[in-house]
Amino acid sequence: MGGRGGAALTEAQEGLWYFQALDPANPILNTGQYLDLRGPVDDAALREAVARTVAESEALRLRFRPVAGGAVQVPGDAPELAWADLSGFPDPRAEAVRRMAEDSARPLDLSAEPAAAFALYRLGPDRHLLYERIHHLAIDGYGMVLVTNRIAEHYSALVNGTVAPAPFPPLSRADEADAAYRHSPRRAEDAAWWRAAMQGMPEATGPAPGRAVSGATFLREDRWLPGDLLGALADWSDTHRLNWTDVLTALTGAYLSRWTGGEVVAGLPFMARMGRPIARIPCMAMNVLPQRIRPDEDAALADWITPLATEMREARKHGLYRSEQLRRDLGLIGVARRLHGPLINVQPFDRPPGFAGLEVGLHILGAGAVDDLTLTFRGDPASGMLFEVDANPALYSPEDVAGHAARLPVFLAAALAEGRLAPVPTATPDEIAATEALTAAAVHPVPDTTLTALIEAQMQATPGAPALVFGDATLSYADLDRRSAALAGRLAELGAGPETIVAVALDRSLELSFALVAILRAGAAYLPLDPDHPPERLARILDRAAPVVLLTSPDLAGRFPDPGQSDDAPRRLLTTDWPQEGRAPDTPPQPGNMAYVIYTSGSTGEPKGVVIEHRAIVNRLLWMRDHYGFTPQDRILQKTPATFDVSVWEFFLPYIAGATLVMAPPGAHRDPTALAGEIRRHAITTAHFVPSMLSAFLAAPASQGIRMARVFCSGEELTAELRDRFHARVTAGLHNLYGPTEAAVDVSYWAAAPGDSSNPLPIGWPVWNTRLAVLDDRRRPVPPGLPGNLYLGGVQLARGYLGRDDLTAERFIIGPDGQRLYATGDLARLRHDGAVVYLGRSDHQVKIRGLRIELGEIEAAIMGCGLAREAVVLAREDRGDKRLVAYVVPQDGWSEQAAAAYLAARLPAYMVPQAWVTLDALPVTPNGKLDRKALPAPRFAQAGRAAETPAETLLARLYAEILALPEPPPAEADFFALGGDSLSAVRLSLRIEEETGRDPGLGAIFEHPVVAALARVIEGGVTTGGLSPLLLLAEGDPTQPPLFLIHPAGGLGWGYRRLALALAPARRVWAIQHPGLDPHHPLPESLSALAADYARRIAELVPEGPVHLAGWSVGGVIAQEMAAALSDMGREVGMVAALDSYPADVWRAEPDPDPVSALRALLAIAGHDPEAHADLDTREKVVGFLKAGDTALGALPERVLDGVVRVVTDTSGLVRRHHHRPHPGTLTHVRAGLGHGDRHLTAQLWRPYGEVDALEVPFLHPQMISPEAVVLIAPMLRAAMDRAQHRASPRSAAAE
Amino acid sequence: MITKDRMRADIAKILHMDAGDVQDDDNLPDLGLDSLRLMKLVLGWEEAGLKADFGLFAEHGTLGEWWQAIEAQQAG
Repeated sequence: MGGRGGAALTEAQEGLWYFQALDPANPILNTGQYLDLRGPVDDAALREAVARTVAESEALRLRFRPVAGGAVQVPGDAPELAWADLSGFPDPRAEAVRRMAEDSARPLDLSAEPAAAFALYRLGPDRHLLYERIHHLAIDGYGMVLVTNRIAEHYSALVNGTVAPAPFPPLSRADEADAAYRHSPRRAEDAAWWRAAMQGMPEATGPAPGRAVSGATFLREDRWLPGDLLGALADWSDTHRLNWTDVLTALTGAYLSRWTGGEVVAGLPFMARMGRPIARIPCMAMNVLPQRIRPDEDAALADWITPLATEMREARKHGLYRSEQLRRDLGLIGVARRLHGPLINVQPFDRPPGFAGLEVGLHILGAGAVDDLTLTFRGDPASGMLFEVDANPALYSPEDVAGHAARLPVFLAAALAEGRLAPVPTATPDEIAATEALTAAAVHPVPDTTLTALIEAQMQATPGAPALVFGDATLSYADLDRRSAALAGRLAELGAGPETIVAVALDRSLELSFALVAILRAGAAYLPLDPDHPPERLARILDRAAPVVLLTSPDLAGRFPDPGQSDDAPRRLLTTDWPQEGRAPDTPPQPGNMAYVIYTSGSTGEPKGVVIEHRAIVNRLLWMRDHYGFTPQDRILQKTPATFDVSVWEFFLPYIAGATLVMAPPGAHRDPTALAGEIRRHAITTAHFVPSMLSAFLAAPASQGIRMARVFCSGEELTAELRDRFHARVTAGLHNLYGPTEAAVDVSYWAAAPGDSSNPLPIGWPVWNTRLAVLDDRRRPVPPGLPGNLYLGGVQLARGYLGRDDLTAERFIIGPDGQRLYATGDLARLRHDGAVVYLGRSDHQVKIRGLRIELGEIEAAIMGCGLAREAVVLAREDRGDKRLVAYVVPQDGWSEQAAAAYLAARLPAYMVPQAWVTLDALPVTPNGKLDRKALPAPRFAQAGRAAETPAETLLARLYAEILALPEPPPAEADFFALGGDSLSAVRLSLRIEEETGRDPGLGAIFEHPVVAALARVIEGGVTTGGLSPLLLLAEGDPTQPPLFLIHPAGGLGWGYRRLALALAPARRVWAIQHPGLDPHHPLPESLSALAADYARRIAELVPEGPVHLAGWSVGGVIAQEMAAALSDMGREVGMVAALDSYPADVWRAEPDPDPVSALRALLAIAGHDPEAHADLDTREKVVGFLKAGDTALGALPERVLDGVVRVVTDTSGLVRRHHHRPHPGTLTHVRAGLGHGDRHLTAQLWRPYGEVDALEVPFLHPQMISPEAVVLIAPMLRAAMDRAQHRASPRSAAAE
Repeated sequence: MITKDRMRADIAKILHMDAGDVQDDDNLPDLGLDSLRLMKLVLGWEEAGLKADFGLFAEHGTLGEWWQAIEAQQAG
């Protein structure tokens, strides 16, 4: 062992080291398991068995020491078997498991403690648990098997008095094997083979979208596979001369491919030991081989599994080539670009070892990182197999994990039984039954009647009650009866009756309501026409629908074909010719007759007339009346154009509930202020809004404080964000309804109540006698979580498209169980509770560069920044290249940079729009829906010269790679302006080092974020590492007074980057950083001296004109003193702003911070709340925590970190000893409104020293320069600077 | 009694190959011999009376090496 001092890591270990070094506090690489030993354990023998095993397994004694560019492994002391008697605990086993979990969750100090630990827990006289925990860097899964079996062999030998097994070969063999492969020509051949094999690989994803990076924990669900499944697997594999391991991998891949679009790139753990001298050495050797699996659903299983098995065998031949290297070879850098999705881990040798005289159970606690999903099979068909689903909790819920664990075994059994995949649904019979139960629960008796009969019954029942209000006119049910009967009689004379159509083209008016009721009373179906549609379209519809009469008004008549000139044109009956008296005809419709025909736009551009029968709309209206408890006291607003089927319930629900229909004035439906006025004036109880209109309504001042009983939303996706905004502003029930015109208005409902926290907000549950089916592309039921196509069934389905049997047959299909279904063309998924979530149109699925994108998520994020009134995001393909474009209707204070910065902080870079277009209003279709086609193409500004020098070209490529830009940016591009943040800056510095072999230092990127400038640094230029006292944060107009942002306690100004970008390019924004970050620089004597030094530096940089100052925390205290210092020098000071800073008087009584509290101040500087992390009480923990997070501080070199700690400690002391003097002008103070507890920290504390303008934002102190806070604070500072400049230049003030 | 040719024939059979195609210096994992199949082979040979450690087979990749190691063990 002596010769092994400081051995380099093997290639297999390097990838793990990199992972652990990036995230030292993550304990996920602690692999662990325990043996459940039942029977009389010989304590001494077991202790000796462990000692002997440890003695012959060098890996268990390793320490790992970081060195430049990686780590070395050196031997250390052997771990000893810990022993604890837990038999006194109420639940000894639970206590043991708790202790093991606690130990496994502890990040190891790999340089100081052994990579392995063993413990024996005594639960009782005949039961012990033997715990083994070994860091993955030291060992892999098979190594763990070797160690465990060896303990068992030694134990048995000791107990039985037999010969001990021959010791393991030396670990040096692993180094030799690694070196041999590294230098063999085979490595290059393998690289080439893999490159070819992965050519054109699809996006590697798992069942859940999102950031697949292992956290510190994982979710686990396990179960023993049933014996008949194992038997079927073994038999089928034998019959087809295949290894059962390959068959199991293939079928598991087939299950995953159902979730990933037909093909999955699975990761297959590979032992990499067979036939190699390391075969029996406990060490880390395993690799993960990416395997593309694209099953042929229609073929016999063997037809695709046999070639796949051959492919996998080929891949194993090249399996020594490290997957980490392959990922780099393929340019798959960044979280979103993965080499493989879920792991399929078949471990035939993971069986409990044999201990003489004991019964043994094996329990795996953790086997390494879980980025996505790991599906593990331990054991073999003959002796039993444990199936484990391990999942990344950031991507999967416990229900998801339980779902996969229950579903996969059923899928495997069904596939083997069928011999083909196509007939096997992804959903299990239980899941299908659960959905059917929901459909069954929606069954509800509804009278077999017609809308006409229901309305007539109501008119008889309450003749004197108010039925209809329009403007100042109120009509009773008797009036409605009289007017509609008279018109119905006339219509019958003109040929209207059951199965005929009468067209209506009227603006909102009393006549419109009379007309609709009259047509129904004549037994006919009404066809609403929008007079504003192009005449050509109207003529075409009239021609297709062939109504017997057109009801319109004299002023609209001119828009329709004149019957005097064309034989085909329908006869007109103008409002002025309508009779006032008369009898309704005795030609009542039957429930199966058509009630209305509404034309919708077809995807081909040809409008389609949807025919709805009475039975369907009666079901819909009676459901709504009963479900929401409508009464005669309700006043329902009619504001939806009649051509949009939402209007159907607005028009008729009041008349079957005895309520009052209130018609909004024509045009009012587009004017939020007018609508709010109508709602108040008429005491409306119920109104409908399309979500985009609701958003505009809520944004109008007039909507504040509106009260109603219910608001219904449909027609577009109702977002959680809008729901929350609604309840913050309006007092009313909010209900999300969903349904296409083809299924009688709505088929599902969801109560979006104030307590509802669903996100996304579901479309919910089926209405009466309705079925919602989510089926895959082969019309098989999908389980919860898996997106599919939404189909509708039940009584509300339309008869079809008028005169278009071909289109009807296309969309109204016969489902798998023989039921008639309508294919909505909408994508949906089921929640675990069975509620349906709408996911978008199947024909608008958005994928950009292979990444699945939910545009709604981006839209919600834009709305969340509070700078836009409305927002729509499209994936446009204007130049053959798909890009995300955001269209926004801006609010006051809109800034593209601020919005982009806000999004970059919330969404993956690839989801931040590449272009922004501001509009006065979003274009809408006549129905009030967003008109996507009318959105203009954006101009993608890629100003500036292209990158030229090799270094520029390299950087432009890396910027594009890391920020997922569609193309390399120009030489003038700023990394942060392009959406970079501190995390991506860390990645950039790593990539630059990989490509150039030289680490520019993270600070260089902060100091020189522009491609050309950073290129000069790489080419050998000078950088201060981002630590220079004056750091330009954002370029801007040099003629305007610049802003200086003074560092907080830590001395660094990097955190101001967002704030600076939000305030540029109107001016240049600089950071002032503490010179004492350089350990050779002396520390200042006092805060006044420090401020005077800063003032001198500013005066040198900006020889004349005013300057603005601002600072957060201590920075604000310094800024206040600097203002006085600059004033002393005769310099003009504009704005002086302090972000949650308080005078020294407040702190004077407090003790100076010790080094640990100075370190903890770093947490605040990095934007964390130190109070929330009380456990971080050492330098290692604080630094580890920062490294794990996406903060630049964590990536600081040690030297700089030392400087920061030094500066924090010193500056805190200076503040305590400082005495303020008056400042010139007004101090702009922005208080952190949250988290000051009982301390009365307010702007008033500054009063003794001058004027104060007190502002506040709802954030915690540590969050004050976060992107979220910047969105609010930047406009405040902008206004303060404007005011200050205004005051400072009396000439321009006088000119006004 | 286990002979080199018996082993060759068994390997060929489990890999669905002709015995003539399994040469002494062919890398057996490359031919498709995985740990599962190897386990089956070794169990069969043990039943037929071969006394050899499984590790011997796992650590070497060719029939030639196997046979050499078996001879060495038996000689020792």
